[in-house]
Amino acid sequence: MARVALENVTKLYGGKRAVDRVSFECREGEFMTITGPAGAGKTTILKMIAGIEKVTEGCIYFDGRLINDLSPQDRDVAMAFETYNLYPHLSVYENIAFPLRAPKRTEKLSAEQEQMRVEEIADFLGIRRLLLRRPTQLSGGEKQRVSLARVMVRKPQVYLLDEPIAHLDARLKFSTQTALKRLSSKLGTTIIYVSHDYREALGLSDRIGVLRKGGMEQIGTGEEIYHTPATDFVARFVGDPPTNLTDGELLTKEGKTFFRAAADFTLELEKKAREKASQVAHQNGEVRLGIRPAHVTVSKDRVSDKSFQLPIYAVTRSHQSTICTFELHDTFFQAMIENGVHYDMSERVWVDFDQEHLLFFPGAIQLSKK
Amino acid sequence: MCKVSINNVSKTYQGNVEGVRDVSFTCEDGEFLAILGPSGSGKSSMLRMIAGLEDITKGEILFDERVVNNLTPAQRNIALAFESYALYPLLSVYENIAFPLRARGMSRADVDQKVRFVAEQLGISDILNRKPSSLSGGHQQRVSLARALVRDPNVTLLDEPISHMDQRVRAEMRARIRRLHNEFRLTTIFVTHDQEEAVSLCDRVAVMSMGTLQQIGTVDEVWNRPTNKFVASFVGEPEMNFFRGTIETPREISVATKEGKTVFPIAFGVLQKYLGTEIAVGVRPHDITLAVNKTEQAVLAASVDLVEFQGESAVVTVKLETRDATEARVVVLAEKMAQIEKRVWLGFRPEFIHLFDGEKTITNPESSNGQIGGARQVKEVRR
Repeated sequence: MARVALENVTKLYGGKRAVDRVSFECREGEFMTITGPAGAGKTTILKMIAGIEKVTEGCIYFDGRLINDLSPQDRDVAMAFETYNLYPHLSVYENIAFPLRAPKRTEKLSAEQEQMRVEEIADFLGIRRLLLRRPTQLSGGEKQRVSLARVMVRKPQVYLLDEPIAHLDARLKFSTQTALKRLSSKLGTTIIYVSHDYREALGLSDRIGVLRKGGMEQIGTGEEIYHTPATDFVARFVGDPPTNLTDGELLTKEGKTFFRAAADFTLELEKKAREKASQVAHQNGEVRLGIRPAHVTVSKDRVSDKSFQLPIYAVTRSHQSTICTFELHDTFFQAMIENGVHYDMSERVWVDFDQEHLLFFPGAIQLSKK
Repeated sequence: MCKVSINNVSKTYQGNVEGVRDVSFTCEDGEFLAILGPSGSGKSSMLRMIAGLEDITKGEILFDERVVNNLTPAQRNIALAFESYALYPLLSVYENIAFPLRARGMSRADVDQKVRFVAEQLGISDILNRKPSSLSGGHQQRVSLARALVRDPNVTLLDEPISHMDQRVRAEMRARIRRLHNEFRLTTIFVTHDQEEAVSLCDRVAVMSMGTLQQIGTVDEVWNRPTNKFVASFVGEPEMNFFRGTIETPREISVATKEGKTVFPIAFGVLQKYLGTEIAVGVRPHDITLAVNKTEQAVLAASVDLVEFQGESAVVTVKLETRDATEARVVVLAEKMAQIEKRVWLGFRPEFIHLFDGEKTITNPESSNGQIGGARQVKEVRR
């Protein structure tokens, strides 16, 4: 087990900054996920930690020891990729046992010890019944689990896992995710995990780093990332349906503060929201308001003096809830409400924002117009 | 637009491979119907037969009252839309919409009138001279739809319309598609393996597996009253939990625990002949309540194995203290996460318990005075 620290790590490809001054520390035994959209630099970071890619600037430390110039073999990391790369001529058992038999290994296992280790890992990942098969006899999902088992059978300083369950269908993904979480808490080894799927990140990790265009936007626990996103990018990236965002300005009138997004939309802010808003607003009062669909309520009747009326653009369902979409100030915004009450398209309803959960940002990302 | 009837349709491929076996259902005029199933379930074969891209081995497909088995795709007048909008990049929006009409040899004046009419309806009159590449995704989609609508198709067929789009635009795309459907009420059939997509868009859903139709109904019907164990386990995320139980009385079941047994009530009556039978009990992760102490409702003890944070909710994996120590998943509100302890008690609402004898659902709605389920499912959401 090792503590992994990155200090102002930058990676240049030609003139392009793939990774831009990224710093974080993954504690000993911690499960840390780096998430972000495609092209954000997630895999590049992982490869630099593994030693497959050179660091352009900055330092990487394992337990305080600078390892920038160490070869991948000397770093004692185990890395799993999105692709499986199984040996087709070996059985599943032999594929998993392969890293244990590598000639360079210092830890020599007896046949029984090896079998115990392989079976234990196979049990965790639910592939024990496949041990005697050949990779060609496996489905894509099974191959991905075998590939993961082959990495997890080793006991390195750090596991580096790059989208190891991305190809699984939703159902299998969920159960493999659970298996992985259980396995990681049992092994207690430091894991750095890369995924573009925020759900995996939230479900698995002790802490999450959200990456955008090579730069780290926020590092925190799943709850911190979800409830107090540092930027509008993080707010929008984590959560489905995504966080609603709309631009407007702060106005003060008769001692009250309002958020005004358009001629027809003005919202009075309560004390806490007001404080949050004025901290991040631009000098001219411009600010971006964010709210998660789950924190927007919809009703047939007016429920508070801050309720406002809007026509419903469309009503869609998810199994557990109903999603009402509205048009506001040339963007869409959505409310996730409980199933039960029937709403019609174009019906004018009363909408309320939960003031406790209002988010404010200076505004960095481009908002999509409808 | 028309009604589509599928009557006892089968599809056999070379070498006697059965793609679709004796499927019957109806898609009403103006209905949005989803065909949902895992890969290999026959859903795409079904769509291709409706489109006329594949022969029908047995049975009939009718558009309104007319058998279309031997009509070509063009004669059937269907609009096929696949994942991409497939607009012609070199043509203006106007020419893109006019294309299918010109292909039919319609007069210039008629084309102009039709294009302008449909553009007006879709709110794209002011972009008719632009090229598709200069348009936003939403506008491109409207143009694509205008091109389909301008022909007055009998049926619109969609194949996985949004499943490959970026997660962040999906929610918005669904709203758009649903809005357009409500405005134009096109008879629409779409296939998908993604249940979230099916649920969000359709009026009714047809679940297929291994070439046969398993169930057709509204989302609430299929989720809350699955006709068999396949449907019960295939729909819903995370998957429905199953554990062994025994029918004690027509209104009670029991589960064997280490100490003896735990008995709890069920809302649906069960036929007398099942008394004493061992059955599979199914409960959805969302329909289980967790309590720290044993209460009247929370009767089944379990130990907490894992808690996975998901944002608004968290998924708790527990090991039931039943004789066979079954694993189960429970979805709780994320704000309750902190209260979860090592040992918890599970509660089941009687109306959300599903019982299966082998593959078959054995709950009997008739004996419950026609009332099906509790508050949540009675209030079905219609659009």
